[in-house]
Amino acid sequence: MKPITFFTSLFVMATANAVLADVPMKPWGKPSLQGNWDFATITPFQRPDAFADKEFLSADEVEEYEAAVLASRAARESQEFAGEHDQSDLDVGYNQIYIDNGTTMTTTMRTSQLIYPANGRMPAMTPRGIETAGYFRVLQSRSPQGPEDRNVYDRCIMGFNAGPPMRSGAYNNMMKLVQTEDYIVIQTEMVNDHRVIPTNGGPALPNSMRLWKGDSRGAWEGDTFVVTTTNFTHLTRFNGSGENMVLTERFKRVDEDSLEYQWTVEDPEMFEDKFTAIVEMNATDADLFEYACHEANYAMPLMLSGARKQEAQGIADDTWLPSWSR
Amino acid sequence: MIKFNSAKPLLSLFVASLMLLSCSPAPQQTPTQSAENIPSTASTASTESAASTSSSPPDLSGIWQAVNTAHWNLQGHTAKKMPVTGVLGAYGAMLAGSSVVLGGEIPYRAEALAKREANEADWANLDPAAKCHIPGIPRLTYMPAPLQILQTDTEIFIAYEWGSNSRSIFMDRPGTSAPLPSWIGYSLGRWEGDTLVVDVTSQMADTWFDAAGNYHSGSLHVEERYRLIDDNHIDYQATITDPEVFTAPWTIRMPLYRRIEEGARLLEFKCVEFAEDLLYDHLRQGYDGPKALDGSLREDSN
Repeated sequence: MKPITFFTSLFVMATANAVLADVPMKPWGKPSLQGNWDFATITPFQRPDAFADKEFLSADEVEEYEAAVLASRAARESQEFAGEHDQSDLDVGYNQIYIDNGTTMTTTMRTSQLIYPANGRMPAMTPRGIETAGYFRVLQSRSPQGPEDRNVYDRCIMGFNAGPPMRSGAYNNMMKLVQTEDYIVIQTEMVNDHRVIPTNGGPALPNSMRLWKGDSRGAWEGDTFVVTTTNFTHLTRFNGSGENMVLTERFKRVDEDSLEYQWTVEDPEMFEDKFTAIVEMNATDADLFEYACHEANYAMPLMLSGARKQEAQGIADDTWLPSWSR
Repeated sequence: MIKFNSAKPLLSLFVASLMLLSCSPAPQQTPTQSAENIPSTASTASTESAASTSSSPPDLSGIWQAVNTAHWNLQGHTAKKMPVTGVLGAYGAMLAGSSVVLGGEIPYRAEALAKREANEADWANLDPAAKCHIPGIPRLTYMPAPLQILQTDTEIFIAYEWGSNSRSIFMDRPGTSAPLPSWIGYSLGRWEGDTLVVDVTSQMADTWFDAAGNYHSGSLHVEERYRLIDDNHIDYQATITDPEVFTAPWTIRMPLYRRIEEGARLLEFKCVEFAEDLLYDHLRQGYDGPKALDGSLREDSN
């Protein structure tokens, strides 16, 4: 071994030990993942066009991006909504004060949460994926005939950022993780939901049993807890995925204050390629609030009664899709 | 540790499985036909393995389920016809059950009892659990679905299959309180010998104790007691204190049975999708008449 290599190795070992020393451990020898974790970030999910060929930003560019986001929020806060057909305030449905997706980009300084495909963009959909997405788009574009016409988020069955997999959204970007030797529970604030994941794998559910959140089974790969989830329903649809998507999530405690959460979706029926994201999670002393979504779902009966009244009055309405997604 | 000690747990399990499949209640299993019959002290052969040592509390981890009809009615009741027997036949009937209330009766204030009776008369339209609202504590404990306890030093987490609900019982923050009320409330736990004692406060007034209209106010305080009486049974008690509604504290008591079958696990019962007919049928396109469970036309229908 050359001296420089030797010293490099020593340095790497010392660094690795220092890192490990910062990671809280459970008595049974696994890193502790337990705690409340905040995964809010303003790093975009997909890489914006402006950064098309750029995987990472410089420190100055991060600062500039964060300032621009804050300025845009301030502008929206003071915006006057006007005009007969301007429903842009209704589309979002919340005042700026509700928006709580953080003020900073991730420390990776990446231009997107997606790290694969390499361009930081969602992979192309297959013809089947395009057709299926079109079906759901038509369903949600029309005046709802019943609650089933609306998506699982409107129905309070799933949380828009809770997944699985989790990703930063407009608000309530919090999860609690409780860990025993045999199980890990992931409780997401949105929409007050949990997954109980065995740490020793265990038998998969039969293919015929489909769950909204899928069937999650975990295993430790060294110091990383790896969760494989299958058996989704055809309505779960993460970013256009189908019922046969295979989700792999990897949880790694980096130090006292942070957890690296990486996930990969593989769904060759709907996408031409897999896609992978890295989400940084930061330890927080804040408790999760009870997001009682369904209990206070005033929107659903209002949407349905609105639709029925429009029918009674012979009004054709094409504004059921928010303007930003038309 | 999960053990098959006798045929009784298997029988309980079989009945519990049937109950899950049909979403219908199952009769209570012997030898605990009534709340009073639960052994007051642990006396079975496996007690020693379940009892705590001086240095560590008992391990309540596992998948548990109440096997009774308390979610229909905490008090003793005979079988009765339900509004859905026209569709489900015998499956739609309420099964009989003995009271889980110590002493048998709930000590209502006179005016509160009148409200309980009004609740019961219109329960299908009023019961928050039928609408898939979070059932609160203690009702979640005896809803007809299993729960899973994960025990750590700082918090004991209970995952409920019903509605994918859950709660944290904080073991390391005595004297704290919730910043605001919630459906599930705020749970602080402590060990009293081998019993886990949980104080539940800050529950909203919107939950009921059962489908018989038994209810509470926002002043509700629940003290739960979980005691492992052998490897596969927890003696569960909950004392209800709510001076606005009751003249005195009262207690329910029932065993929780460990789900001992191989591969026992929580599945998913996201009840929203099953409550949408009750809540929104009258707002569907082409709605053509009263479809409330009690046959009434709801106020907000067209």
